[in-house]
Amino acid sequence: MTEADRPQDARISEAEAIERAKSGDSDAFRVLYDLHKRRVYSLCLRMTANTAQAEDLTQEAFLQLFRKIGTFRGESAFSTWLHRMAVNVVLMQLRKKNLPVVSLEETLEGEEDAPRKEPGAPDRKLSGSIDRLHLQRALEELPPGYRTIFLLHDVEGYEHNEIASMIDCSIGNSKSQLHKARMKLRTLLRASKTEAAGKR
Amino acid sequence: MNCAEFQGLLPEILDSGETPESKVHIHSCPECSDLYVELREISQAAVQLRAGEEPNQRVWNLIEIALRQEGLIRDTAWAGPTLLPTPARRWRGAWLAPIAALLLVMTSGIAVLQHVSQRQPLAALNQASTIEAGAAEDQELLNTIGERAPALRATYAVDLRSIDSYIHNAEDTLKSDPTDEEAQRALMGAYEQRAMVYELAFDRP
Repeated sequence: MTEADRPQDARISEAEAIERAKSGDSDAFRVLYDLHKRRVYSLCLRMTANTAQAEDLTQEAFLQLFRKIGTFRGESAFSTWLHRMAVNVVLMQLRKKNLPVVSLEETLEGEEDAPRKEPGAPDRKLSGSIDRLHLQRALEELPPGYRTIFLLHDVEGYEHNEIASMIDCSIGNSKSQLHKARMKLRTLLRASKTEAAGKR
Repeated sequence: MNCAEFQGLLPEILDSGETPESKVHIHSCPECSDLYVELREISQAAVQLRAGEEPNQRVWNLIEIALRQEGLIRDTAWAGPTLLPTPARRWRGAWLAPIAALLLVMTSGIAVLQHVSQRQPLAALNQASTIEAGAAEDQELLNTIGERAPALRATYAVDLRSIDSYIHNAEDTLKSDPTDEEAQRALMGAYEQRAMVYELAFDRP
């Protein structure tokens, strides 16, 4: 069912839905799910780049949320609480699978620190040409550690101190990895643009 | 400020904004200017990825099943006048009908579908034969899952048992009051859950 299919429930405010969910109202759970499913699922999908895993993690994140909803006292925004929980679920899963939450790609160290320009290569500036689809594809090609930091900072909007505490690294490391992630994305996006131009 | 100095400070400049020195360098060096502008655009474009895709319907179905199994959802289906259906719930029953009918086709054959299409009360259906057919279908499904993915068999068995128990409760209520619309809707909701479990089993081997 889509949000549009639920005109009555959609009128319930988030605060009301939280209170009703605390007493076990199934419609309230559904309202909360509908309000936040896209953002949570998108986060899980970007982090894992795998639809089945993203669905499992979304399910787990919401289940954890609903199990703990009785303890929610409203000191922080509900969405903040939920998204933090979703991030933790994903990070825990990545750790279980021994996937790096901080980049271990030593070979990339320093490579992205300076812009490279190959002699004679056409100058494919990105300016104004970064669309969602290209960025999404480039993101999928990023090493998992870089991807995590980029997603947490630039997509989800967490600060470096929050990221450092989430993934147990230093603030400096978080900043450095973010910069490398952006540099790598730039390289990937430029390559993609050059490839597209070559096909024309 | 030279290029190396500018690029060394670039993460801070991107996070905190341009300094007077960096501004001068950006205006005098096209290469560093491109780098700065493009990294900033990448960072700004990232927000577009925040909420893109919609999860499959089965994600909610599995969440709901788990919530029911854990007793986190209060059973409001036939609890009495204080829990009469809201307009949304009444409306929801309408979209459940075809899905429930689809499942009934799976379990009871075309004759049952014709029965539903004639809008007969659900309580009037031959529940016993439906349940028996459903149990046979369940066993067949579990056997198939046992062959394809043995680790998942127990999970499916628990889910199906939980849904069947829900169906039995609704049917008991309908036996004592065949006109109980709320119980009818609850029964159809449970059938929908069964259909989703089947769909999940065939979708994800």
